[in-house]
Amino acid sequence: MEFVSPEGLRLDGRRPMEMRQLRAKIGAVDKAHGSAYFEMGNTKVIAAVYGPREVQNRSQQLNDQALVRCEYTMANFSTGDRRRKPKGDRRSTEISLVIRQTMEACIMTHLMPRSQIDIFVQVLQADGGTRSACINAATLALADAGIPMHDLVTSCSAGYLNSTPLLDLNYVEDSAGGPDVTVGILPKSTKVTLLQMDSKLPMDIFENVMQLATEGCKAVANYIREVLLEKTKERQKFHGV
Amino acid sequence: MEQRLASTWRMSVNEKKFIESSLLSDLRADGRRPFDYRRLTIKFGREDGSSEVQLGNTHVMAFVTSQLVQPYRDRPNEGTLSFYTEFSPMADPSFEAGRPGEFAVELGRIIDRGLRESKAVDTESLCVISGKLVWAIRIDVHILDNGGNLVDAANIAALAALSTFRRPECTLGGEDGQELIVHPPEVRDPIPLIIHHLPVAVTFGFIGKESIMVIDPTHLEEAVMGGRMTVTLNTNGDVCAIQKAGGDGILQSVIMQCLRIASVKAGDISSKIKNAVESFNTERALRKIKRHSSSSAVEVSEPAQKGGTELSRTHVGRLNSTPEESGVGQSNGMEVDGKILQQETSRRDSGAQSFIGGPSSW
Amino acid sequence: MRDIESLRLNQTQKLRFEKALEQLDFLSAAANSNACVAVADTILVDHQDGLLKGHGTTDFDGELVATVCGVVERVNKLVYVRTLRARYKPETGDIIVGRVIEVAPKRWRLEINFTQDAVLMLSSITTGEDIQRRQTADDELNMRSIFVENDVVCAEVRGVQHDGSLHLQARSQKYGKLERGQLLTVPPYLVKRRKQHYHYLEQLGIDLILGCNGFIWVGEHIDTKDDMVEDQVAKSEQQNENPGDNFSKETYTSVEIRQNICRAANAVRVLCALGFNITADVIIETVKLSNSVDIHEMLGPEFYVLVAESEVERRRSSKRI
Repeated sequence: MEFVSPEGLRLDGRRPMEMRQLRAKIGAVDKAHGSAYFEMGNTKVIAAVYGPREVQNRSQQLNDQALVRCEYTMANFSTGDRRRKPKGDRRSTEISLVIRQTMEACIMTHLMPRSQIDIFVQVLQADGGTRSACINAATLALADAGIPMHDLVTSCSAGYLNSTPLLDLNYVEDSAGGPDVTVGILPKSTKVTLLQMDSKLPMDIFENVMQLATEGCKAVANYIREVLLEKTKERQKFHGV
Repeated sequence: MEQRLASTWRMSVNEKKFIESSLLSDLRADGRRPFDYRRLTIKFGREDGSSEVQLGNTHVMAFVTSQLVQPYRDRPNEGTLSFYTEFSPMADPSFEAGRPGEFAVELGRIIDRGLRESKAVDTESLCVISGKLVWAIRIDVHILDNGGNLVDAANIAALAALSTFRRPECTLGGEDGQELIVHPPEVRDPIPLIIHHLPVAVTFGFIGKESIMVIDPTHLEEAVMGGRMTVTLNTNGDVCAIQKAGGDGILQSVIMQCLRIASVKAGDISSKIKNAVESFNTERALRKIKRHSSSSAVEVSEPAQKGGTELSRTHVGRLNSTPEESGVGQSNGMEVDGKILQQETSRRDSGAQSFIGGPSSW
Repeated sequence: MRDIESLRLNQTQKLRFEKALEQLDFLSAAANSNACVAVADTILVDHQDGLLKGHGTTDFDGELVATVCGVVERVNKLVYVRTLRARYKPETGDIIVGRVIEVAPKRWRLEINFTQDAVLMLSSITTGEDIQRRQTADDELNMRSIFVENDVVCAEVRGVQHDGSLHLQARSQKYGKLERGQLLTVPPYLVKRRKQHYHYLEQLGIDLILGCNGFIWVGEHIDTKDDMVEDQVAKSEQQNENPGDNFSKETYTSVEIRQNICRAANAVRVLCALGFNITADVIIETVKLSNSVDIHEMLGPEFYVLVAESEVERRRSSKRI
């Protein structure tokens, strides 16, 4: 099946180096201390952050840093067929672990000892790149909650089909069986914190694909930064002096 | 998240500082250099498809079994490969029996991705009847002792087990040609799996603020490290899978450097696995041969030991008098075979320990 | 609290709302729009010696970088980032309102919108009749007669313990259990520290307690003297009598006072949703403004616009002064 036409257009009309449209909204969940809604094309996720608050399970309390917990779930209606198990299956467990460790790398946990930060991410509509969208939404939600972070974490995926590196795969391109590289970076220092890859790729091509994904992450970081600044200005406006 | 942290062993500040500071002079706590692997031993069990790997203190066993199942609807021509891990509580106090913790799930998925998505095992050859019956290969890995770096050890164990596994041969037969006959190993030799390449996992740990890289972290180093990365490569220069799930950030150039080092290490480990598998196969063939010749030797030598007069006469006599009985009485296949062999050998030179070729009858 | 965007403003309301926003913008523009930062933004500083790096900042490669989203404040040599949505920052002497979540030996654990739960020791409260009385084992066993789980309590911060949790006290009569009213949660940054946190709104006959931790209590006015004694005495009497008579013993709150409580509570909700500072004066004004509107209409779009406009007026007038 042809994923890149001879003119250089993909199945949804994008160019190989083009990302899908991004949309973010802060404050999607009222009750949470911080929340955000993030869209990458047709992939829609919502993230809510509670914390820092008292640790619910005393035996897990850490005396020198905050305990970060994360739960990733996909809504039953998020994919084409109704999902039988929204959470608790192996993929969700792994992605919860990945998101948690990625966010732990950027949260300054030692400033909030003996407390717990809960991150809940739910996928409302899945069209490829759910992992990346979840990490971006979680970053926004954490910033909204006022939790101190070293740096933002942004994430984007890339692939390699028809001998072309493609940025930001959607579901059809993802399930084509080609390689899928998901990268999460700390934009300020351009350090890679999350890197996942499956399927086979020769090493030099892998370097190109990873570079492309990193560029995508930087673009997402610019967008997220803008959204955060705008929201802060708006709140400040209402608040006055 | 669900682990019982209360029963986890905690690291002392002293040990942590020691590991970090000794790394600054390129020395690790157990005396290795940063890019050295621990001693790797690969052993095999008696059956096909079982392996036991020891990587330093880490001890892992793998078993491969197969079953005939219905294929997935969207892949009617391909067999399936599934990977299961069992984290035994005797390996580590933080492992709990029963439901796998999140680390167990992660390990399972890393190895699963490396084997399945990279198409290391040829699944199309596992198809028997398209759309109805395919072979499902199941790999079970049991962790017996956690000395650090479970991912690499489990991966090597899985690869070794897959390389020595043989599945029964089956043909279509019966009256209408549609019936499936699975031949037991005694009748037909089981067939090995077709493995295109060996995806080897190499795990890096990043310790300290400068993110110093170490390969094959021990249990102590794992408690200290700020980040980990597992790279799965094969000897053809392909990257099969990478897993770096959060943790400290590292530069892209460092990642490429890791990949280059890992490809060298992967080559080493691949050749070790191949050597071990080859020696197992030769031993297996030898065992088959030994069994055949030893059975005839016993029968022949018995009458020879007993003086060879009365017993041999009775033996031979019985055989001569009732040639049809031996054909009919199929109660003990071995006995019949033994008698036939004896007949044959008695016809030939009785002292010769002739090599009996042909299909194995065991 | 509801999001402004979820309101369905019709065309004229939208115009008015936007106009009010613009004016607010104009009024506050001078001070601080450049000073807003997002996470990981560099803060521009002249590299003087002795620059103090305050909350919300960190050192990155020699540069000063923000760790939270907010506004940069500079006070002499101190540079810090003031966040708008952060958790409550406790100080000794703050008046706070909390909810009891656990009764533990000799103490109560209160939830107060902070990273950890606060502790109110049995010895830190007045037990009624005789303040100087020594505490006996009976007092411990009777802790439940004073506060039970889910009671709302008003207390003062006595200090911060070594592990970061708060130590509370309720030594005088004006602290203690709060009954007959509503508890509202607002973001802590909307409640400023003032001289007085207890407000008795006479025209409405209600009590208003603005907890520094963002919990606001709006309730029926109770004479602050001896309310705890009253409870204790009443309860001990009740124990001797039929338990079935409990409800008839309590006084009845009139509908009018309850309506006033609702108005005040809705006023707080509207102010919180719009993000305006909450003080007693603002609440009184908002309630006055709402007298023309039905209580449940207060959460409708028209009232939001009215409140926004009146806030603009207030700020303008305060700027002139």
